[in-house]
Amino acid sequence: MKPNDAFEFARTILQGAFGNLLIFCAATGAVYLAQNADRPITAVLVYLTGVVLIGARSGLLSGLLAALGASLIYNFFLSEPAFRFGAASADEVVPLIAFNVSAIVSGAAAGRLKDSVRKATVAEAKNAFLLRMSDGLQKALKPSDVARIASAFLPVQGLAGLEIYLTRDGALYSPREDGEIAVDGMSALMPPDGSHGSTMSFKVHALQGTDCELGLVKFLFHERSRSRGELPDLKAIANLLGLTLDRCMLLEKLAEGRAAQRSEELKSAILSSVSHDLRTPLTAIEAAASSLRSFDASLSANQKLRMLRTIEEQCEQLNRYTANLLDMGKIQAGISSTGFETVDLLDILGVVVASIRRKHSGQVINKEYDLANALVFANAVMLEQAIFNIMENAVLHNDRSAPLQLRLYAESGEAVLEITDDGPGIRPADQSRIFERFYKSSGSARSEGSGLGLYIAQGFVSAFDGRVELFSPVLGGRGTTMTVRLPLLTEESQPGARA
Amino acid sequence: MKVLIVDDEEVIVESLMPVLTGQGHDVISAGNAARALEAVARGGIDLVLLDLGLPDIDGIEIIAKIKELSDAAIVILSARHLEADKVRALDEGSDDYVNKPFGIGELLARIRAVERRRAARTGELASTFESRELSVNFATREVVRLGEKVRLSPKEFALLETLCRHAGQVVTQRRLMVAGWNDPQADNQYLRSYMSLLRQKLEYDPSEPELVLTEPGVGYRLSVTPLD
Repeated sequence: MKPNDAFEFARTILQGAFGNLLIFCAATGAVYLAQNADRPITAVLVYLTGVVLIGARSGLLSGLLAALGASLIYNFFLSEPAFRFGAASADEVVPLIAFNVSAIVSGAAAGRLKDSVRKATVAEAKNAFLLRMSDGLQKALKPSDVARIASAFLPVQGLAGLEIYLTRDGALYSPREDGEIAVDGMSALMPPDGSHGSTMSFKVHALQGTDCELGLVKFLFHERSRSRGELPDLKAIANLLGLTLDRCMLLEKLAEGRAAQRSEELKSAILSSVSHDLRTPLTAIEAAASSLRSFDASLSANQKLRMLRTIEEQCEQLNRYTANLLDMGKIQAGISSTGFETVDLLDILGVVVASIRRKHSGQVINKEYDLANALVFANAVMLEQAIFNIMENAVLHNDRSAPLQLRLYAESGEAVLEITDDGPGIRPADQSRIFERFYKSSGSARSEGSGLGLYIAQGFVSAFDGRVELFSPVLGGRGTTMTVRLPLLTEESQPGARA
Repeated sequence: MKVLIVDDEEVIVESLMPVLTGQGHDVISAGNAARALEAVARGGIDLVLLDLGLPDIDGIEIIAKIKELSDAAIVILSARHLEADKVRALDEGSDDYVNKPFGIGELLARIRAVERRRAARTGELASTFESRELSVNFATREVVRLGEKVRLSPKEFALLETLCRHAGQVVTQRRLMVAGWNDPQADNQYLRSYMSLLRQKLEYDPSEPELVLTEPGVGYRLSVTPLD
């Protein structure tokens, strides 16, 4: 018991005693008046009422004390002969017996009433606790949440803590945020370590799921609370925990099922993409190569040259496609920042523009750069790939005669690169899906893309804490602007900066 | 030149062999690291085309040994995405790399760069660099771009000299930092700033360099159009 509690307890006792004393004095006063007015029966009744009141108020012990006091005072001061103990007649004895009997009866009744009130209060508190815990556990989504949420309600009513162990394939493990930890079966059943104090005791309950036993819960409590019967209903808590765990496990299974379904969908998307996007160039290469071999004599020099060029172009297509698949794998595996360095976006832009000009020699590119440098934290090769993909996508959808517009500027701490084409624009229905894997817009001018380019660009740019945005149409119902935003490094925030 | 192709994929060896032979090179091949080292030890090799994915040991592991056994130049044949491997291989002492798959033109350009460097050999002593766009005199520190004299600061010149001495070949950031600051750990922000200044003086459009090219994640390369 804490000092505050002790003080509170003493105050309650004193207040009770003071009230009882007041009642007793008032009754004694009234009895004195009644006796003087020669109304002995009224006097006895008044005293009796006082004793009953005190008994009812404070229980058996106080009632008996009051009865004893009343007997003594009545006998000594009021009943004849006054100022002397002793009972001469039955009239004298009956009030004394009545005082004590009524004190006993009213005290016992009051005590019982109090006990049941106290019991009801405790039960109510226990119920309230169970309800609160049940409410809290509604929020649990993973098995590891359950122990954490339940423990947040403790300590309460002498219950100091709890530990949850789940069984799987006959082994115990402890569910954690960062995965599961296998637990030695014995250690789960061992007394708790000293961290909760030496007077700790524990009790193990089974956790029951709807169709099997899920594991154990170990309740830790102070031995004293147990002996006083103050502990909450451990069985009820165990049931509650069991139900919650059951629900969490079902949720997990459901999520796993959904993930498996998604991965199945992805697998079939990859397969159908591979079979189409690998086969098309392979078919073209094989046709060109075998024609060159079989019909060498009948082909003109020009035809041969065109076939050789087809082979080269299709090889490049295959190369790009396999690179895309590899990049997709990288994004799925998660890109760590270990290979990142300070990169000048302007530098990368120079490399990308040069390779776009090489590949699409007819394309006019207008540049409007408002920055002398644009330092960002990224992987240079991935950044080049991302910007190349976006720019080439724009070139492929552009109206051939129109220039491609590039703008680079800074805005609220970000480098903003805008790539604008004058193509037919992207339909609203396609806009939300254009960054999805293997998605090719229905109105796509060319079918040669794998549907991975923008997905990869988006994935890489997000890995650098940036984002890719799309605005379409831009002007007169035509054109698309793709915007790449990347956080700019300031002089101070550069990893290698020196004072 | 005597060229050793180290690759376990026979189809690649077979397709390179006739082209390189046709270019007047003497070509041999090795399917693994052990045989490659044997061939190098026998002597006379000028250039090793080294694939990093060998069946017996990692190609990077034998670069230092090749350098120990001979003065052959090494050009790495590597997958595009493995830039960290490329940088490691370059730091180990290889001279350049080509991304697989490569066009034969690209490979021949790399081989020509090696040849040029070996012809100017012992290259570090060459006193001038000449290409169609650029003429540099290392002794007088005179730089002429398309007939116009260009004034460079000492640091800019040191960087340009290193690029010229490896013309057509990739030069890692690390090597440039040694050239400019004598410190491989120097802040690469300085390097970036000086390369940007260099481009402003040498390039027609510094935002789209044609001479001092960026090799993302690796370093820089001076592009060369040889004098006809």
